Amino acid sequence: MMKRIVLCLLAALVVFAGTSCGKKETELHVYNWADYVNPEVITQFEKANNCRVIMDFFDSNEALYAKVKAGAVGYDLYICSSYMINVMYQQNMLKSLDHGKIDNLGNVDKQYLKLALDKDMQYSVPYMMSFAGIAYNKDKVKNFKASWSMFGREDLKGRMTLLNDVRETVGAALKFNGFSYNTLSEAELAKARDTVIKWKKNIAKFEVDEAKRGLDAGEFFLIHTYNGDALQLMDQNKKLAFAVPEEGTSLSCDDMVIPETAQNIKLAYAFINFMLDPAVSAKNMEYINYLAPNTAAQKLMPEEFLKNPAVNLPASIVKKSDVLKDLGAENVKYSKVWDEIKMAQ
Amino acid sequence: MKERIKKRFAELLLTMPAMMWLVIFFVIPTIVIFIIAFKEGDSFGGIGREWTIRNFSELANPSYPVIMWRTIWLSVLTTVICLVLSVPSAYYLARAEKKWRDILLLLIIVPFWSNFLIRIFAWKVVLHPEGLLKQVLVFFHLASENTFLLYRSEAVLLVLVYTYLPFALLPIYAAAEKFNFSLMEAAYDLGAGRIQAFTRVYLPGIKQGLITAIMVVLIPALGSYVIPDIVGGPGGEMIGNKIAQRTFVDRNLPQASVISTLLILIVMVPLMIRLAARGRKNGDADTRGGFM
Amino acid sequence: MNRSRTPFYIVMGIIVFLYVPLLIVIINSFNMSRFGGEWGGFTLKWYGKLFNDRDVWHALSNSLIVALSTTFTSMVLGTVAAIALYRFRTFLQSVNNVFIYMPLVVPDILIGISLLLFFVALKVHLGLFTIYLAHVTFCISYVAMVVMGRLQDFNYSVMEAAMDLGASWFTAVRRIMIPILAPGIFAGGLLAFTLSIDDFVITFFVTGPGAATLPLYIYSMMKHGSPMVINALTGIFLTFTFIIIIISKKLLEEK
Repeated sequence: MMKRIVLCLLAALVVFAGTSCGKKETELHVYNWADYVNPEVITQFEKANNCRVIMDFFDSNEALYAKVKAGAVGYDLYICSSYMINVMYQQNMLKSLDHGKIDNLGNVDKQYLKLALDKDMQYSVPYMMSFAGIAYNKDKVKNFKASWSMFGREDLKGRMTLLNDVRETVGAALKFNGFSYNTLSEAELAKARDTVIKWKKNIAKFEVDEAKRGLDAGEFFLIHTYNGDALQLMDQNKKLAFAVPEEGTSLSCDDMVIPETAQNIKLAYAFINFMLDPAVSAKNMEYINYLAPNTAAQKLMPEEFLKNPAVNLPASIVKKSDVLKDLGAENVKYSKVWDEIKMAQ
Repeated sequence: MKERIKKRFAELLLTMPAMMWLVIFFVIPTIVIFIIAFKEGDSFGGIGREWTIRNFSELANPSYPVIMWRTIWLSVLTTVICLVLSVPSAYYLARAEKKWRDILLLLIIVPFWSNFLIRIFAWKVVLHPEGLLKQVLVFFHLASENTFLLYRSEAVLLVLVYTYLPFALLPIYAAAEKFNFSLMEAAYDLGAGRIQAFTRVYLPGIKQGLITAIMVVLIPALGSYVIPDIVGGPGGEMIGNKIAQRTFVDRNLPQASVISTLLILIVMVPLMIRLAARGRKNGDADTRGGFM
Repeated sequence: MNRSRTPFYIVMGIIVFLYVPLLIVIINSFNMSRFGGEWGGFTLKWYGKLFNDRDVWHALSNSLIVALSTTFTSMVLGTVAAIALYRFRTFLQSVNNVFIYMPLVVPDILIGISLLLFFVALKVHLGLFTIYLAHVTFCISYVAMVVMGRLQDFNYSVMEAAMDLGASWFTAVRRIMIPILAPGIFAGGLLAFTLSIDDFVITFFVTGPGAATLPLYIYSMMKHGSPMVINALTGIFLTFTFIIIIISKKLLEEK
C-alpha cells in the first residue's frame, strides 16, 4: 500500500515535470496593465508565431518598477507609461530598438511623435493613449458634475474609489486646485495632499482594477478610472457613464519596451510589430476602447469611435490637461505626499 | 570512545540537513531584514550603498501607533473570540460518541483545508453591499441602506476569526481528548457547580492546548496582510498591509524592513512570555517531545 | 448532573458559521447572473469558462510541481530532524528545537519579506525555484511536528532488541523506525503538500514572472478578472479537498 502511494507520487511528479518542460514551446512574458489587449489579438499572435503569451498585470507604473527592481527579471516586454519608461531608460534598464526588425514602424502617428519623450523611438514604441476621468452609475449618482469635486461628495461616502496611483490621484487633486500634474512646488503639493486626505474619508479604498469590477457589480457608484476601461465597462453595463472633469486631467501614452534582461527578444520584436499592424491595432482599439497613435489603424476605425469624446479628448480639455512627465529625483516629493496621504487616518 | 564518536556523528548527520536549510533560508534572511533596515534606499527603488538610521525616523509618524494598536487589538480580540468558541466546542466534541465526533471533526476541517483566498473571497461576496446578507439585515431593520459591511475593521475581525478558528479548535480539542473527564464527575460529587468545575478543573486540564491555540492564532494574526487588504479598506489596515505597500507599491525596501522589524518586536512579546513561562517549569514532562 | 446543551449549540453554530459563506459561493457558481446579487437562473457556464481558461491549468501545474518537490524535500528533512530531536538531548538539539519551532509561529509575511530581501541582496532571479526554497523552509517544521507526535508513541525497546541482535543503529532506524513511522511521515507529507498548494503570502513575495501558482492566479482573478469564475473554482476545490481528507484519514488509521 505504502509503496504504491510512493510510486504514484513519483509518477505524478514526473508527469507534471514532463508536461511543463516537455513541450518547450516558446513563451513570451509580457508585463502589462489589465484589460489592455484584446484576447483575440493575443490568440492570433500565438497562432501566427507558434508560441504562448503569458501576461502579468500591474496596478500602477510604480508597482511595475518596484517589482522589477526587486528581482522580477523574466519579462520580455513591458507596456507601461512613457514617464516611467523614461526613468527606466535613465537606469539603462531597456534595450535600444533595432528599427530594422519592426516593419510596421511607419504606421506610428508622426504628429504624436513630435510631442513624445522618445521622439525617434530609440527604446520605445507607442501603444495606446489614455487619460483618466470618472466613471459612475447613472442611476445611483444624483446631480453628477464632471468635476474632481465629486470626490468631496459625502452622500456618496463609501461608494467611491480613487486610483491607487500616486501620479493620478495626487495629480487629480492638484488639478482640482488649479495646479499642474507635474508641479514641483511643495506648497501646491501640500494643498493637494490635504485635498486627497479630505477625499479619503469618502472613498471605500484606493483601487485600480477591483474598482472596475466593483462599479459593474454595484459595489461602488463612482470610480476614478481610465477612459478605455470605463468604455469597456459601459459596453456591458448600460447603467454606467464616463466623464472627464472640466478642470482637466492627465494625459499619458503607454509604450512597448524591451527590458535589458529580456530572454525571448525575437518574439518581443514580433509582438511589437504585430501590434502596429493596422488591422490588428484596429481590432485592439475596438475592444479596449483606447486610441492608438497609429495613422493607418485610425483610418480603419468608424467615425463615431474617433469622434467619441471619451476616446478622443476634445481640444478644449486637452488644453487644460497635462501630459505626465518624469520628475527625476524630484519624484521624492510626490512619494512623500503620497505616504502622508496613505498614513492619514 | 569510538561509541561516542559514532553517536556524535549520527547526531550530526541527522540534525545538520534541516538545520543548515533553516539557517540559510530562515535565520539569515531574518538577519538580513535587520541589516537592510539600516541601509539607504535609493530613490529608484533599489537598495543603496550607504548606511543610515534615517529609516527609523519613519516610525515617528503619528499613524504608526494607530495601526500598531489596531493590529494588536484585532489580533488579541480574534484570539479571545476563538478561544471562547473553541473551549466549549472541544468539551462537547471530546465527550461525543465516536461516530458523531468523526463526522463533526471532518465537517470542521474541510473548510479549513480549502483554499485560504477563496474563503476570504466568499466573505467578500457575503458582505457585498448589494448582497443577500445586507438585504436581510435591511429587511429586519438591523442595518440601514447606507451601512457598510465591508471595508472596515469589523469585517477584518470577522474574517480573521473565521480563518483562525480551526487553528484554535484543533489543539484545544487534542488536549480535551486526553483530558480525563471523570475528574469533572469527581468535582461535581464534591459539590462543585457546573461553572466552577469548568473553570477550575477542565480549563487547567487543557492548559497546554490553550497555550498552543493562543500561539497559533495570536502571532499569525499579528502579521495578517491578505485579509485586511481584501476586506479592510483604509479603515482596517494592519501592519502587514504597510509592509506589503512599502515593498510593492512604494518600492522602498529599507522602509519595509523597518516596519518588519517593528512587527518582529511585537511578535517577540508573546514568544518571550511563552519561553519564560516554560523556563520556569523546566524539566516538565510535556515540554519534551513536543514543541508547544 | 445534567449536561448543558450550550457546548452542542456552540459547535452547531460554528459549523453553520464555517459553511454559510462557502455555500453561498457554491450556489453562486451556478448562478447565471454576472454578479451574486440576484439569482439569474441555473448554468454551468462558469465551470465551462474555468475549464477553458488555459492559465488556470498552467498555474495548477506550477502549484503541483512546487508542492510535490516541496513535500518530498521537507518529508526527508523534517523526519531526520524529528528523529534527532527524539533521540538526542544535547545542546545542539535545543538549538535545533528552537530553529524548528520558529517558522511555525512567525507570521507568513515576515518569512516572505525576509526571503525576498535575501534573494534581492544575492541577486537571485525570482521564479518557481525561489518559491520551492521558500515553501520547504516553512514545511520542514510541520513535518517534524507530525513525526515527533508519532515518535512519542514509539516503543524504543524494539530498536534496542534489534541492536542487541547485531544491527547497527542506522540499520535499525532504516528498517524498524522508519517503517513504523511511515504513516506519520506520510501524514506530515500530506500536510506539507496542502500547505504548499494553499500558500499565498510567502509565494506572493518571492514569485517571479510566469511562475504563477494557483493561489496567485486566484488573487489575480479576484483583482483583474471575472469574480464568478472563482466561485466555480471554489466548488471544485472543496470537492477535491474532501477527497484528500478522506485519503489522509485512511492513511492515519492504518496501523
